[in-house]
Amino acid sequence: MKKKRLAASVLALSVCFSLAACAGGGAATPAPESTPPAGTAPVETEYSDLAYVQDKGTLVVGITNFSPMDYKAEGSDEWIGFDADMAKAFAEHLGVAVEFQEITWDYKVMELDSKTIDAVWNGMTLNDEVMAAMSTSVPYCTNYQTLIYPADKAADFEGLTSLEGLNVAVESGSAGEDAAEALGAATVPVQSQANTLMEVSAGTSDAAVIDVLMAADMTGEGTSYADLTYSLNLNDTQGLGSEEYGVGFRKGSDLVDAFNEFWAAAVADGTVETTAATYGLQDAVILE
Amino acid sequence: MFFTSQEFQTVAAALNSGFLKTLQLFFITLVGAIPLGLVISFGSMSRFAPLRWLTRTVVWVIRGTPLVLQIIALFYVPGMKDLFTWPSGETGRMTAVCVAFVFNYACYFSEIYRGGIQGVPVGQQEAGLVLGMTKSQIFFKVTLLQMVKRIVPPMSNEIITLVKDTSLARVIALQEVIWMGESFMKGNQGYSGLVWPLFFTAVYYLVFSGVVTVLLGRLEKKLEFFR
Repeated sequence: MKKKRLAASVLALSVCFSLAACAGGGAATPAPESTPPAGTAPVETEYSDLAYVQDKGTLVVGITNFSPMDYKAEGSDEWIGFDADMAKAFAEHLGVAVEFQEITWDYKVMELDSKTIDAVWNGMTLNDEVMAAMSTSVPYCTNYQTLIYPADKAADFEGLTSLEGLNVAVESGSAGEDAAEALGAATVPVQSQANTLMEVSAGTSDAAVIDVLMAADMTGEGTSYADLTYSLNLNDTQGLGSEEYGVGFRKGSDLVDAFNEFWAAAVADGTVETTAATYGLQDAVILE
Repeated sequence: MFFTSQEFQTVAAALNSGFLKTLQLFFITLVGAIPLGLVISFGSMSRFAPLRWLTRTVVWVIRGTPLVLQIIALFYVPGMKDLFTWPSGETGRMTAVCVAFVFNYACYFSEIYRGGIQGVPVGQQEAGLVLGMTKSQIFFKVTLLQMVKRIVPPMSNEIITLVKDTSLARVIALQEVIWMGESFMKGNQGYSGLVWPLFFTAVYYLVFSGVVTVLLGRLEKKLEFFR
């Protein structure tokens, strides 16, 4: 009896140790790269995110596959797009390599805070939630929210000034959700802007609210949503100005200053304008 | 012909690369969880009460919370609390997901093992003692052998569930097959607004779980001689 008890205890203890070893092993490899602020605090006066990124040698850019900002051309494995190209230029300016990481949009703040990415650079609308949770750059592009609906019911939707009585699919936490709520719609929050279109297409929602840049890309001929169409500038309908896109960094990060400096130079020397023209964004980009 | 079209080729290539990740996660989970489950089951059957209660509490927490929540916590919390940072890129995400899956499934397996071990009649152990076998001989040659046969059907259930549970990994943007299917809805490699790739992933799951079912069925048959 005693022997068995001992054997069981030893086995169970070995689990505890092997688990601890596992956790330790995971920690040991990345630890030198990710000097925690607590450790550096006594040496340096302030934690520098810029120094952290330059020290590890890569700028990890959090993106979603979103044409024309960050996407892959057919048959290619390279990330291109207005945001991707500018991110490459920014990394070069910092003297580090760039790494693109696809993320789940809902977790963008957690991705930043847990240091699994260093920037959110993906046609992100600067709304109150975003600006409260991250340090954001100067706005660099304009956008508005639009209403998507079935083409055969276009007559019911054109010229609407209120969405009351409609079930409207929106991306959870998006600027489109704010717009739909402000206009009195009953919202159906789903995981992504792409999923909102499936809702409309399947008839489970009456309409959807998404970015106009994306609407142009995803509806009409050559897509699975040939029977969907869009109109209405919902920002105008609400009496709001256009939205602005910005880049998000960790709260309090000094990468924001580095970015703003880089961006002003890139606007001045025409890099921004030529890159925008490559992706058809010359009217949307902010050149001031 | 649709199946020879450029669209199908591109989508299939993307889904294949996603499914490789699904398979990788599936096999790593099995290889890790099957032995770890046995160790955990010893913990929960231990006669040393504190260890028994500790193990059972851990099993309760792991079985009592959604796997998706465990993945999110395991991946994000260490970095947010400055404990450590997962390696960047696909490697870090895969490692975190594997750790979460192995531990989660090991806890379920441990209960199946416990049932299997405790279901072997005491008479068998007594017979072993009478024959002069040692405790460990009895465990490995009598109990464990019969437990393996008993646990095949419930283990098959868990393994089939695991095939489909791998899709939870996409919550931290691990690009497994469902993620790849969804990617064509909003646009990937020049195709956007395609819905069929998402539903087409079902074919991958069905074929794979079919293969797994057949293999487990054979294993069950092989163990029938115990009867």
